[in-house]
Amino acid sequence: MTFLQPILLATLAACGLTTVLAGLLLVAERYLVRYGTCRIDVNAGGRVLEVEGGQSLLASLMGQSIFIPSACGGRGTCAYCKLKVLEGGGPVAPTELPLLTEQEVADNVRISCQVKVRNDVRIEVPEPLLSVREYRGVVERIRDLTHDIKELRIRLVEPREIDFTAGQYVQLEAPAYGDNPEPVYRAYSMSSVPSEKAAIELILRLVPGGICTTWVFTILKEGDEVTFNGPYGGFRLSDTGSGMVWIAGGSGMAPFWSMVRHMKQQGLARPCRYFFGAVKQRDLFLVDELRQLEKELDWFTFTPALSGPTDGDEWPGERGRITEVVAKHVADGSELEAYLCGSPGMIDAAAAVLRGKGITEERTYFDKFG
Amino acid sequence: MPAPEPQTQITRPGQALLVQLWRENPIFRQVLGICSALAVTNLIFNTALMCAGLIWTTTMSSLTVSLIRDYIPRRVRVMVQVLIISVYVIVVDIVFRALFFETHKDIAAYVGLIITNCIVLGRLEAFASKNKPLLSAADGLGAGLGYSLILLFVAVVREVLGFGTVLKNTAWETVVLRGWEPGVHETWWRSWTILVIPPGAFFVLAVAVWIAKAYDLRRQAGTQAKEAPQAKEGGA
Amino acid sequence: MIAETAHTAPGLALALILLSAAFTDNILLTRFLGMCPFLSISRQLRSAFGMGLAVVFVTTGTCVLNYWLYVYLLKPLEAYGVPAESLKLILFIVVIAAFVQLMEMLIERISIRLYFSLGIFLPLITVNCAILGASLFMVNNVASRGFGTLDVLVYGFGTGLGWFIAILLMAGIRHRLRNAKVPAALEGAGITLIITGIMAMAFVIFQGMIKL
Repeated sequence: MTFLQPILLATLAACGLTTVLAGLLLVAERYLVRYGTCRIDVNAGGRVLEVEGGQSLLASLMGQSIFIPSACGGRGTCAYCKLKVLEGGGPVAPTELPLLTEQEVADNVRISCQVKVRNDVRIEVPEPLLSVREYRGVVERIRDLTHDIKELRIRLVEPREIDFTAGQYVQLEAPAYGDNPEPVYRAYSMSSVPSEKAAIELILRLVPGGICTTWVFTILKEGDEVTFNGPYGGFRLSDTGSGMVWIAGGSGMAPFWSMVRHMKQQGLARPCRYFFGAVKQRDLFLVDELRQLEKELDWFTFTPALSGPTDGDEWPGERGRITEVVAKHVADGSELEAYLCGSPGMIDAAAAVLRGKGITEERTYFDKFG
Repeated sequence: MPAPEPQTQITRPGQALLVQLWRENPIFRQVLGICSALAVTNLIFNTALMCAGLIWTTTMSSLTVSLIRDYIPRRVRVMVQVLIISVYVIVVDIVFRALFFETHKDIAAYVGLIITNCIVLGRLEAFASKNKPLLSAADGLGAGLGYSLILLFVAVVREVLGFGTVLKNTAWETVVLRGWEPGVHETWWRSWTILVIPPGAFFVLAVAVWIAKAYDLRRQAGTQAKEAPQAKEGGA
Repeated sequence: MIAETAHTAPGLALALILLSAAFTDNILLTRFLGMCPFLSISRQLRSAFGMGLAVVFVTTGTCVLNYWLYVYLLKPLEAYGVPAESLKLILFIVVIAAFVQLMEMLIERISIRLYFSLGIFLPLITVNCAILGASLFMVNNVASRGFGTLDVLVYGFGTGLGWFIAILLMAGIRHRLRNAKVPAALEGAGITLIITGIMAMAFVIFQGMIKL
């Protein structure tokens, strides 16, 4: 048995050392990484939070039910979580600098997922974000709109009602599943009308390899519980009353479907031309409903266009890229406002066309979802 | 926004191996992992041993990590991987110490440094922790072979031109560049001592990388000229 | 030579160790260790500086700790048949990992500014070959030249310093090279290797000067 002795001793030495070091690290963590309770003063005393120090500002706020938007989950890449930290933020971290302009740094704007709460801080949070809440709901209905677009209807459980403006979005939580060890949040515009407070509807397009849409399309069932937070976003109808041009493609339909029905309910009769771009006929949805609205409302026109219809489609409507169709139908845009919702590529192309028609940048509103 | 899909999915072991061997060769694509072996490349035999050690380590640790990939908690992932690598390197160390004692004395420290070799860890992080065992083993084997390819090239150049011998200090030593009389030390080729000392390794490696990249650029230019430009479909 | 000098002029012996670790046996230019981060970080002077400091810090600390581990744990175990030479590989790396984590916590506590300039590089260097290499070569020196604790401290510091100097020089040179015309196939790795080779040639000068 003597040959076992060195092996045993070696293993003992290795394990012993590792245990001692691990213990040392744990002790160090307890005593060194201890920051105690810190106060977060929000909006000059509007709200004062007491949090456990040592976490990122974003995480600390989320723990107190203040939901700052974040697409990357705190990794410091999306820059959605910008906040003004007036005092107590410490020096600007090297991970924040690439995401902030010089003016922002001078104004104390910080990337809140990279700011660690080590002492009392004073911050400014835009008011709309303070009314963002986390909602729990149940999936009431999943409806196929096209081969790769679904409509999700969620009945609210806690809280029972939601207040939002047509055009806003929520962040839906896709829980850990399959190869994804952590939940992720993805933003989707609400397609339901604001007057309906007890439920929301979302329109999702399946993204190949996309974590959230894959979950919705393959795993989520009616009756399942979901979590989302919101409402977020500044994409909404303006107060001006001017005529509008709406341009959307794919799941970009969502905010406009909400807006047009809201306008109908509220009797807001603003001239509105809605252009919807798709590739083939099978990519169109809600066409009948929108045509019906077109008949009922004299201020609303709906123009779908296909850029690559297959021969069997027999499409009598407009053909070509949506930007070309818009150029054809909109002569003078000097009195108009433009609302665009779709992929960044489509939005950029459309904005350029609209500029050529006289719709200035200040009167163009984007919802870049990609 | 979801990340873009990788160019090709690796599905077959043979494919995994070949990709690592040339297209994604760790040394000149990413200039990784040259640390631990450059020092020994002035002798072909030492290099061959190092490469054997690395091939063994990459293949076996890729296999092991891939087998237990679902059970490793995320926080300790790197430490567990390093520990697995250490075990296989210790095996290499013990084998070399037993079989090639003389050579081992020269390369002992570098054998140990296989543990921190970026290639080994890199393949574990990038491939073995996400793919099936057989595939990961092939990937590890390919990476090791790709690494050996370059290093042996450097070693051949360095030893032949620097010492004038092949497999010096072994039973198989051959003096390549030499006159007729075996007892005479002078070779007709003046040995390039620069290749024997450390700077030589950098220069030869630079040349190897240069050749590989130039060949690659030529090939890329060739295929680009053949492909017709595709019209882009924009829109939602 | 070191042994005799140690008796008569201990300060000189230490100076010799420092100089040989930093120049003659420069861990990067003559031993080829620590290349990966070297090639990527040396692009910017500022991060090169931070990384270099971190390396000096860690090499010094871990060399001393590993020396104690070797002398007081591993060597005695050899009497029982434990292959200390092979086991040290695992133990050294565990010590290095723990040291780095501990340092990260300490530095963050002491000074946030220091943490931002140095601390963020610490996790990157746990697997830097140069750190483990320094410890392994230190063991060689202990065996062949009978180093003591102070010698090891100076040796570790010298090794880290050598790496630091090399990376600073490289960053400076690459900064100058930004506007130079480099052949396409040499861009990136190729030209950096050639520069490193030339730098290594320069350091070869020191070989004759200091004989340890």
